[in-house]
Amino acid sequence: MSKKLWGLLALLLAFMLVLAACNGDEKETSSTDEGTKTEDTTKSEGNEEGTEEEAEEPAAEDSDALFPLSVENEGDAISGGTLKVAMSKDEPFQGIFSYVLYEDAYDAEILAYASNSLFETDGDFLLTDEGIASMEVDQDNNKVLVKIREGVKWSDGEPLKVEDLIQPYLIIGHKDYTGVRYDVDFQNIIGAVEYHDGKADTISGLKKLDETTLEISFNKLSPAIFSGGDGIWTYAEPSHIVKDIPVAELVESDAVRKNPVTLGAFIIDKIVPGESVQLVANENYWKGKPKLDGVLIKVVPTSSISVALQQGEYDVAISFNASKMEEVKDFDNIDILGRQELYYSYLGFKLGKYDYDNSVVVTDVEGSKMGDVKLRQAMGYALDVEQVAEVFYNNLRERANSLIPPVFASFYDDSLEGYTYDPDKAAALLDEAGFKDVDGDGIREDKEGKPFEIKFATMSGDDIAEDITQFYMQNWKDVGLNVTLTTGRTIEFNSFYDKVQADDPEIDIFMAAWGTGTNPSPAGLYSKTAEYNFSRYSSDFLEETLTNIDSPKAFDADYRAEQFRAWQEYMAEQAPIIPTMYRYELVPVNKRVKNWNIDYANPTELQDIELVSDTAVKSTK
Amino acid sequence: MWKTIVRRVLIMIPQLFVLSLLIFIMAKQLPGDPFTGLLTPDTDPNRIEELRELAGLNDPWYVQYVNWIVNAAQGDLGKSYTYKIKVSTLIGERALNTFWLSLVSVIILYLIAIPLGVLAGRYQDTFLDKIVVFYSFVTYAIPTFVLALIFLFIFGYQLHWFPTVGSVDIKYDTGTAGYIWSKLYHMLLPAFTTAVLGTTAVVQYLRSEIIDAKSLDYVRTARSKGIPVNKVYSRHIFRNSLLPIAAFLGFTITGLLAGSIFIETIFGYPGMGQLFISSLVSRDYSVITALVMLFGFLALLGSLLSDIIMSIVDPRIRIE
Repeated sequence: MSKKLWGLLALLLAFMLVLAACNGDEKETSSTDEGTKTEDTTKSEGNEEGTEEEAEEPAAEDSDALFPLSVENEGDAISGGTLKVAMSKDEPFQGIFSYVLYEDAYDAEILAYASNSLFETDGDFLLTDEGIASMEVDQDNNKVLVKIREGVKWSDGEPLKVEDLIQPYLIIGHKDYTGVRYDVDFQNIIGAVEYHDGKADTISGLKKLDETTLEISFNKLSPAIFSGGDGIWTYAEPSHIVKDIPVAELVESDAVRKNPVTLGAFIIDKIVPGESVQLVANENYWKGKPKLDGVLIKVVPTSSISVALQQGEYDVAISFNASKMEEVKDFDNIDILGRQELYYSYLGFKLGKYDYDNSVVVTDVEGSKMGDVKLRQAMGYALDVEQVAEVFYNNLRERANSLIPPVFASFYDDSLEGYTYDPDKAAALLDEAGFKDVDGDGIREDKEGKPFEIKFATMSGDDIAEDITQFYMQNWKDVGLNVTLTTGRTIEFNSFYDKVQADDPEIDIFMAAWGTGTNPSPAGLYSKTAEYNFSRYSSDFLEETLTNIDSPKAFDADYRAEQFRAWQEYMAEQAPIIPTMYRYELVPVNKRVKNWNIDYANPTELQDIELVSDTAVKSTK
Repeated sequence: MWKTIVRRVLIMIPQLFVLSLLIFIMAKQLPGDPFTGLLTPDTDPNRIEELRELAGLNDPWYVQYVNWIVNAAQGDLGKSYTYKIKVSTLIGERALNTFWLSLVSVIILYLIAIPLGVLAGRYQDTFLDKIVVFYSFVTYAIPTFVLALIFLFIFGYQLHWFPTVGSVDIKYDTGTAGYIWSKLYHMLLPAFTTAVLGTTAVVQYLRSEIIDAKSLDYVRTARSKGIPVNKVYSRHIFRNSLLPIAAFLGFTITGLLAGSIFIETIFGYPGMGQLFISSLVSRDYSVITALVMLFGFLALLGSLLSDIIMSIVDPRIRIE
């Protein structure tokens, strides 16, 4: 009997171990990762920082970076071959293969292989002249000339025309268009609103000057135009295919769902809805036919992505969850490339309300519980973000010092000190501000000596999210602040943003994150009119700086960079929002792949990718 | 009997109506809406508000409900906010996947469970019986995702006996023999996993029924007439012991469409379970309501089917 019992116990224990190991995976899959979604309006390839850990052939320039940006594997390239790409994801992809219509970043990642992108970008995500089209900005007349290269062909052999550049505007501006891209920026194009309202048959601001040149007239221009902002659309649509499809039916049409005609290195050949996409080399690609025969992209559940990589089932993994790093770091058949994402998480303080009737932020610093700048600064210094990054994220995140991710090298202010962990300084600031512990219970009272409670809203997610929340609350308690959770627990994503947007009085401080997109202009998140200015903080100086950043004067790059710095310093000092962490994106690449580079400034050219063996390389560990 | 069936079907109409009202109100009570997830610094909040208005989400709930029910009555369940295709098309795709997967699992389940149950019952208290009972407890106790992952790692990634993700290999064209085989091949491992996890109830019911039946009068009569033991088991005991299993056969049939979130997620198999959960998370109202209505209808139908099946299998039961 006892023998049996022991056997059973051993078995149970074994299962529990497996369970514990798997449990983490399960939970992560359901988290919405702090509820950020990024949608790049320009191209989503590349980075700037990079280097070694176990230096392979790293494109090393910056010794701070944790991972190499590129890899070159030894061996003679085989001719052709199919690159197998794993898209680590627990749900089917949506499968909207159109730049004007897609909403999900995963669709964009697939589309990148077929790309209709007209421009290429540099390390700051500014448009360059290297791509299919080049741009000439006439600042005085608010006009832009877009010129396309001669001889560029669609994947079906049809030449690229100026009409193909106009077509996407006609779709987005159409009254039947139900996507998010008909926005304030788009309405900056002269005639866009009239076309949308049905008062005009076409957009008057778009003029075909000759067979290769399009002239676009704007109401106003800002430096954002160089980031693909201000309403300019940086992708082409095959007008010979889509112009006859009613806009309302486009999203369900075969031209979007089954066989989109594209300009990129590969052509979407076959799709199993939600599961996999087969692409073949585009004979007509303007940079030359790709060396690979094709690319196969498959959705691989996050629970088995590590094993799949170990077995060499895939050559590259995209949207790889960085928390899997521990599982894959010992595999000897892959190299792990990494780059910083266009992302920051932050701690926000409610300092006012949004007046939805007049679309304006009403800041009330004096009347807000968090109104004292020293209190805000102290709360920043009290957080041991460094330890969270190290312990909970294995250093795959790092403490943020600025609201501009370092990826934007020209705009990022690396001299900012930020809120490094310093509980003594926090305590000193609180003492100075008059938050003292009057009754001797270890918890500070407010300036009048009344009990002081700070309501903290944060999102639920994986187990880590809960642990980190508790950790931060302990940090604050250590400096004598009584922080309690809004609603008593962490809040589900939708509910969280509902409350934050509505300026729920139960929220004094909140933690969230932004994926910043490729346009670094902070106006959309911090200006007086921005609904997404969740801290509801605004001041004359802030408004002025934000206006300067996007002013005509800022066409001068030095001036713009200077204004960016002024803004970052001001925000750090006033602390209405304290950035907490930047995040790394990891890309595991199998040894079978000859060359791969994820530098934002200089990504691998898809047509140049090669394989060095017919079969995948398995890990021996 | 027919009268009863018609009456039960007619009663379903008000039941479903109440269900639709409940789910509609409850779905709208959830915080956020399908557009909350579009929040990025690049999206214009005014445009999102416009889209809400266009989608009718700013109307009072009863207006939305009437619009929805009028359209639904004409067979138009609306469009998915997430996938931007007709709800009927979306559910159709997933339901087909789930239906075949569940059917294969049920077949495998009975292929495993019935022999085990019969043997355990017949050779009660032997070593064989103990092994079966042990097997039942282990498979009952082990969480779905643990077993699914273990099977996937062993049979999929280590031994390469089965494909590891998806419902079909992309290289085959729809409708060809290769395509059908590939679909079946992709189903086997998830179906086997589901089957192994679900055998306990059937095994235990069958085993205890058989043990009970062994000492009943009709078995002793049969034995005393000189009928061989094997025949007594196969002809007399087996049929009677299947009754409790037949009792939930109706639910088993309609349950074929429910799907399992764990199995679908781990095997990357797009099915109904996953669709339901993700539609809840993304507040895809049109999909949520359609699925709840479908599941509700299936539950009602399942109980009716079970009653009908019982009356056929067991002549002592009559539906009045």
